Parts: sequence; C-alpha cells; structure tokens
Amino acid sequence: MASRFSGALQLTDLDDFITPSQECIKPVTIEKKKTKTGAKIKIGEDGYFDISSGQEQKLQKVEITLADCLACSGCITSAESVLVTRQSQEELLKVFSERKYTDNKGVTKSVSLVVISLSPQPTLSLAARYKLTPEDATKKLAGYFKSLGADLVLDMTVAEDLSLLEVQQEFLERYHNHQNDPTAKHLPMLASSCPGWVCYAEKTHGNFILPYISSTKSPQQIMGSLVKQYLSKSKEVNPSEIYHVTFMPCYDKKLEASREDFYSEILSCHDVDCVITAIELEQMLNNSGKSLSEVASSELDWPWSESDGHPAIRRHLGSGSGGYADHVFSYAAEQLFGESNAPLVYRNLRNPDFREVTLEKDGKEVLKFAIANGFRNIQNLVQKLKRGKSPYHYVEVMACPSGCLNGGAQVRPSTGESSRELVTQLEGLYSQLPLAAAGGGGLVRRLYADWLDGRDSDKARAMLHTRYHAVEKSDIALNIKW
Amino acid sequence: MANLELLQTLHGHKGIVWNVAWHPLGTIFASCGEDKTIKLWSKEGQEWTIKTVLVDGHQRTIREVAWSPCGNFLASASFDATTAIWDKKSGQFECNATLEGHENEVKSVAWSPSGQLLATCGRDKSVWVWEVAGEDEYECESVLNAHNQDVKKVAWHPSLDILASASYDNTVKMYKEDPVDNDWTCIATLCSHESTVWSLAFDKTGERLVTCSDDRTVKIWKEYKPDNQEGVIITDKESVWKCVCTLSGYHTRCVYDVAWCHQTGLIATACGDDIIRIFKESEDSDPNAPTFELICTKLNSHSQDVNCVAWNPIGNQELLSSSDDGEIRIWKFSD
Repeated sequence: MASRFSGALQLTDLDDFITPSQECIKPVTIEKKKTKTGAKIKIGEDGYFDISSGQEQKLQKVEITLADCLACSGCITSAESVLVTRQSQEELLKVFSERKYTDNKGVTKSVSLVVISLSPQPTLSLAARYKLTPEDATKKLAGYFKSLGADLVLDMTVAEDLSLLEVQQEFLERYHNHQNDPTAKHLPMLASSCPGWVCYAEKTHGNFILPYISSTKSPQQIMGSLVKQYLSKSKEVNPSEIYHVTFMPCYDKKLEASREDFYSEILSCHDVDCVITAIELEQMLNNSGKSLSEVASSELDWPWSESDGHPAIRRHLGSGSGGYADHVFSYAAEQLFGESNAPLVYRNLRNPDFREVTLEKDGKEVLKFAIANGFRNIQNLVQKLKRGKSPYHYVEVMACPSGCLNGGAQVRPSTGESSRELVTQLEGLYSQLPLAAAGGGGLVRRLYADWLDGRDSDKARAMLHTRYHAVEKSDIALNIKW
Repeated sequence: MANLELLQTLHGHKGIVWNVAWHPLGTIFASCGEDKTIKLWSKEGQEWTIKTVLVDGHQRTIREVAWSPCGNFLASASFDATTAIWDKKSGQFECNATLEGHENEVKSVAWSPSGQLLATCGRDKSVWVWEVAGEDEYECESVLNAHNQDVKKVAWHPSLDILASASYDNTVKMYKEDPVDNDWTCIATLCSHESTVWSLAFDKTGERLVTCSDDRTVKIWKEYKPDNQEGVIITDKESVWKCVCTLSGYHTRCVYDVAWCHQTGLIATACGDDIIRIFKESEDSDPNAPTFELICTKLNSHSQDVNCVAWNPIGNQELLSSSDDGEIRIWKFSD
C-alpha cells in the first residue's frame, strides 16, 4: 500500500519498511522472574511462549506507540500501523458505538461528548467528490457525523482566526527582535501549521531550522485546546470524557495530534483524540454503501454564547492553506510601515509552488515574503537558509504541492481527471466560501478576554503556542546497504 | 576470436573501488571508492597514471562519479548524504558546490545530456532532479518518491530529458518533466526482474535500455511510442517499455553493472563472479525479439566482485573496470 504521508515524511524514514527491527530503539522490557537461569522461549504460530516454567505461557507482544516512534530518530515504521489502530475509521466507529476509548497510555475512558471539528479543505474535497455546494456538503457532513453519534459538529473558523492573530503578533515581535539582534534566529519566520514540514524539520534539520519556525499552534491544535480546556467547562464535562475528532486534509495531522506536546497531564488527555481525513470519510461512506448526497442534512452547532456569530465553513484571504502569508504581510505592512491595503502581487519563481511578494517603500524592498509548497521547494528554502542566502522575512511553508487543498489525504481525482484540474476546482470552491471576519469576531474577542486572560498573557501563550524538538540522529552500521 | 586484452592494472585506491567514469574526451577518467578519495587518471606515454587526487570532499565512501557533458564539472555521490560538484575554474579541481537533501547514502549521480540537469538517488528511496541555476548554484527541481525501496542507479536518455532509475524494489522507473507545474512525474515502470536492479544503460538511440540485476539476468527493453507500428497498446499517451530479451544462464552471481557502447553497440557486464562479459547483438536480430550473443568471457578479470564497467566514449574499444579488490583495470576489446 502506498504511504499516505506527505512526501517530506516519506523521506524521513517515516514508514521505512526495510529496516524496522534493526533500527528500532524501543527497549523491550521483559519482566524477569527470580531464580531462573534462563528462559526458554518457543515460537508458535500465534505468538511467543515462555516454556521455562514447564507450561506454556504466552509472552506479551511489544507494543510501540506513535509517541515512541516520534521520539526516535530511526524508523517510524510502526507509525502507520499505530495510527491505523488509534486514529482509524474503525476506531472512530467503535467509539461512537461503545462511547468509550483507549488513549495512547492504554487507559480506557468513557465518552460523554463527541465533538467533531471540520476544517475547510476536506469539506471542499468531499463537496467536489459528491458534486455538492460547499454549504450543502457541510450540512451533509454534519448530518452524517450526527447519524453516527456525534454530539457536536463545529467549524474551526475561530481556531483559524486565533492562529492567524497569534502569527501576526509573533511576526511583529520577531521583526523587532531581529532589528535588535540580527544574528539570533528571529527571521525569516517560517509557518508552523503543516505537521509534515514541522516533523521533517525536527528530524532532519533540528536546531538549525527550528528557531525560525513560528511557535503558534496550528488551527487543529488551537481547536483542540479550545474544546478540551474551554468548551468542556461550559458544557460541564470532564475533558478526558470528550472525544475530539478533527476532519483534515492530510494524514500528517494524525502525527501532530499524537504529539506529547499536545497531551495535558493535568487533564490526562490529548487535545485532539482522532483525526479523520477526506479520503477516509469517502471510504466510510463507501463501506456503508452511501453517497454523501443521500445523507440527511443537519446544521453545524454553535456552542458559544455569542449571538452575533453563526457557524459556517469559511475562507480566509490568501492561499487555500489558511492564508498565512497574506495575513502576516498585510498586518506587518500596516503596523511596521503604515501601508494599509498593501497590494499582494505574487511573482512565481522557478515553479508556481514557490512565489514571493514584496513591499517597497521609497524604492526599497522592506518586506519580502514567500509561499513555498511541496518538498522540492522546502529543500530550496532550507538550502538558501543554510547558505545565508534567504532574502525572506516570512515564508508560508506547506509540505504538499499546491498546499493544503491538495493535502495528501484529500479524495483522489476521478479517472480521467488530473490532480491539477482537481486542485483548480477546489481553489475555485474555496474562493466562493464566505469570508471570515477580519481579525475574528466577537467570539475571538471574548475568548481572549474570558479564557486567555488577554492577548500576550501567559495563558494565551500556553494555549496558543507550542515548542519543537530536534531529534538526534543515530546511524547504525547494520543498516548500510550498498 | 573476440578477446579482452588487459592493458594495465591500476593501483592507487585503498579498499573497494566503486566506480570509474570516463571524461567525454576519453583521455581522462575519474575513479572513486571506499577511501573517500577521487582520483583523476590520464596517460603518460603508454601508462595511465594518477594526475590529481581529490580529498576532503566527503566524509564517507564515494559511490559514484560523473563528468558533465562539457567535461568541465565532475559530480561525486557519497554515503555522507551529499553530492559534491568539482570544477577547476581556479586552475585546479575544487569542490565548489554541495547538493544536500538526501536523508542518507547517495548511491548514484548523472548529468542530463544538456548538462543543465543532474539526477541523484539513494537509500532514502528517492530520486532527485537538480537544475543548474547559475554559477555554483543548484536548485532542487523535483523529489520523486516513486520507488518503495533503495534506489541504486540513475541514468539519463542520451538526447532527451528523460530519466531512468533502478531500485532494490526490482523495478526500473522513468520520469520526465510536466510543463504545467515544472514538476517531474513517473511515466513508466519496468517490471520483469525478480530481484534488485543494480544498473542500467541506454543505447545510443535512447529507444532501448539494458538493465542488470541481482537475479543474475540482463534484460533488454524496447520503447514502444504512442504511434508504434507493432500495435502495442499505449495508455496515458506515454511510451510503453517492454522487455524484449532476457540474457539468463550466463551470469552465476549478481550482475552489478552494465555498459552499452554507443559507438560499437557492444554490451559489457560487471559481475559478482569476478567475470567481465561482452555481448553482441546478432546480425539477423529481430527488433521486437532481439538476440544477443556472448562473445567474450574474461574469467578472473578481477580477484573479487567487479563493480563497474565503462566503455571509452570515443569508441576505441577500451573498457575500464573496477573492483572490490581495490584495482582498476583497463582493457582493450578486439573482435
């Protein structure tokens, strides 16, 4: 089976099927019994048996969790199988029917609230697949998840708004810090919302590149904090009894959700428990012999007290990956150079997936931003940085060519359709979505006031920002193949 | 009686010599190996001697070297995950650019016929296409993850920007650029070998390919273009490559390398049984089912595995070979 991870992750041995056992450093702990000189182990067809005590005793299989794999520089061979068990359609259906789940630590918890958060890109992917308008597709998806047993189906606009606001703020800080100390790695600031890119940077370029990556969490993880830390309170539910599912355009998001950084010891739960992708949802529908168009519609939920807002899948100005470059550019142009409505005219570089935009002031380039999509352009960007030849202040980096609308787990093009045609169609659908309110609406303001103790507070930093960790490389001679 | 006459045995490397590559003019060649050095050889009178030794370019084994078509640049692929580009603009050979990006061992490097593109491949299962973007500047054009195992070898079509790669996944894949987004895509997968494909070479027309494998066979593949007269069905508007000849029963171990002379049409193979073999196409060979005859078997051509064979590009029937035994040998073929 072809890997569904993005190209960046495929390269970093993410599912390297050649060398798992040799390179895996997961220590195997065997409970030792005293007084034995040595164990006799028999290999049976259905497992390993300890026969030293005279009778066969089945030995436990070593289980490697995704967290183990992510912490290791070796293979993540098992990542795919671990993900398949922890974050699969089967698991999701099981949670719906049994109303309980087993977390990464192996603890089983009962579920009293199932929350689904829909992101725009996979919703559009299904709209295109089933020839529905984005609005209809959203309602059908809400109806489908509710028919399975979801309690709340939400859009993620608020999390996207928070993420953009924090990114804008972080850029200004970095820009000022850079003026004071140009040698410290404040700029260029690199986007952080793509987990394929972040994971690749951690594993391959480590401390060289990580300081440049924005500390702002991705919308998925901000939504995670919002649901587990805030919504749980207003719903009066124990956060670990909320099963939070996000609907996403790429498989790499599953890895992101599983990161230790997004596990709360205090609440003893992850912010996002399961990530389901467009392609998996299509499969779920296929398995039940349904087309999305036949599913009964339902409205998205609005669990917030604001009466001025209403739920909808929305777009933000700029790229279909969330519009990071555009938002930061416009904000920085205004805040730093007093240029409101600075024109955003992108110029393609070597290929259409690497484009740049500049702000000129008195004939001088004062801001230079870029969008770099796809692994080849990540390479060119990283090499520019390494050689000290990056001219950029900010780069929106996404691991998939064409960005998130072309995410690795979006529904495949139908026969006869090229993937470029499909992306163009999705870009068209995206541009028709209603626009999210600039700077977020009343809900965003109240979240900063009530939940986050204001902007720039410790709480806002804790809830909306994260850290990255370089993974040390180990090279094991066993694996060298000529 | 066809014969491979040993002209000279060249010593200089410590340990395995992985690869030898002729300069396009055929008067110089480069060699590389386990000792992390590149040596440049040329003739002094009748003797080939080391002219230059390039050191400190790589931290680990150098697996392959390749001259650019203009002869001014030498690329070296190393297990240290980098590819170095050497030139002598300053008067002597220096490494003036390093291509970084492969996750681990780089196994092969090749220049496109125009010299504007480079391809590399390696243990990380990927094939990379690089573009010469200015003086000492190289940009990544594409990272191709078509293979699902270690990629052993890359080779360019002799006149078009079409790339072929051979892998541990038993297949050969071909790629070309998609003008829509300037990215490269896999346009053909050649399946027939039953084990690792170690190497491959196009003939002078680029319409045939020879591959060699761990399965002890050598295979000849023919391109059937979309308008082919033979009635071979084409899907996706791309040529289909069919295996039209399998040379089996000749090699007793893995076949590590194969070289198809663009002047004489002779195919030389490097084998783990220490033998160099020369194959020649029969005169009455049917293009759709060609026949090749083994015309020369050089027993004990080296004392260990033969890793590489290379025909002198000027067509004087000189053949270079390199081996695990630490030696490079230069041969003269005669009919």
